[in-house]
Amino acid sequence: MYLRAKDLDDAMQLITEHPDFLLICGSTDVAVQLKNQKPVNGIIDISALNELQYIKIASNTMVIGALTTITDILESTEVQTHLPLLIAAAEVFASHQIRNLATLGGNIANASPAADLVTPLLALDATVTLGSQEGERVIDLEDLFCGYKCTKLDHEIILGITIPLQKHLWYYRKTGVRERLNIAKVSLSMIKNSKGYCISGASLNPYALRFRHVENLLNSSDFNDEKIKEALELDISPSGSLRSTKVYRMRVAFNMIKEALSGFTAL
Amino acid sequence: MQITCTINRKPCHFECEPDQRALDVLREKGMLSVKEGCGEGECGACSIFFNGKLVNSCLLLAPQIQDAEIFTLEGLQKETETIRENFAKEGAVQCGFCTPGFVMRAYDYIEQGGSKNEKSLKEALDGNVCRCTGYQKIVEAILKSMT
Repeated sequence: MYLRAKDLDDAMQLITEHPDFLLICGSTDVAVQLKNQKPVNGIIDISALNELQYIKIASNTMVIGALTTITDILESTEVQTHLPLLIAAAEVFASHQIRNLATLGGNIANASPAADLVTPLLALDATVTLGSQEGERVIDLEDLFCGYKCTKLDHEIILGITIPLQKHLWYYRKTGVRERLNIAKVSLSMIKNSKGYCISGASLNPYALRFRHVENLLNSSDFNDEKIKEALELDISPSGSLRSTKVYRMRVAFNMIKEALSGFTAL
Repeated sequence: MQITCTINRKPCHFECEPDQRALDVLREKGMLSVKEGCGEGECGACSIFFNGKLVNSCLLLAPQIQDAEIFTLEGLQKETETIRENFAKEGAVQCGFCTPGFVMRAYDYIEQGGSKNEKSLKEALDGNVCRCTGYQKIVEAILKSMT
């Protein structure tokens, strides 16, 4: 069954009535899922909710609506100015045609461990605003995920993503079999701001999270290669998959941290 | 489901299944420039304009084109004439299967004021795959269309 939400209230009502239905907007992930014969119970199409497609700056934060496309993000002078890390990740996100359809909210809600924009947002300390018929709540992006392709969304819709704006140094790198249309074998997003280091990386855990052990170690300033490796092993649990091996992912994640420490880009 | 939209400037009304793709209905309606290559958004052979944005029609569900303005290469014959002539002159075609998608992307790139820098152009072709030519002639044909 396919339902099209007319507006936000309509969408929230449909989610309450059909909690097992899948929300779609760009449909770039669900279309592949359907092709691979993984049927869904039903679909709620929220692509008509234009009110969720925006990028704005308010009191030292940037707020990005869930239905903002990856192309919108790349073309935004505000994002280019304040969040070059997000731009770096968006530039190597899938392909031009997919960037035109795919949305930031979709990249988050799909909860893939390889999602390109989730780990930069984690490093940037983003929060997400969720809405339902019960009201709104704001949670840390990190607290949204609870397993492989699993979120804590409870009859809710992602409304927007809020990112605090502050001076920072940043690093981003993504590896894979090719430069573009590339699902990450490993990617690393790293920030250094006045409070210290914030690190996250894609395809290194069943779901995206912050690398707290490495962050704490680097913040202590008492570190060497061995200590970084030990901390990293506590933070990541890469699996071997079709795309890469556990050994490769471990080693490359370590190399990326070393590279970041030797050459951050200043904002 | 009943869908109403505009395809190549003509109002269209058709019936589709909820899990059909835009690609399927466009081909059923005779838009055969829209090719199914990989069927998962990697090759760009099914590229169409969806409300002015170039997208993979294999990733778009048919019900999503309700009220949308769709263009396929069939509806952009005049606009893409120079590009298509240059593809022919430069030999940028072998089997031809990927060609409509490349012509659509080339038109999109040029319309958006894309740079003549070869590296920028190659990056802009990140959503189109050709398994025959090795890309150089395609790049040359597009660059020639920009002069």
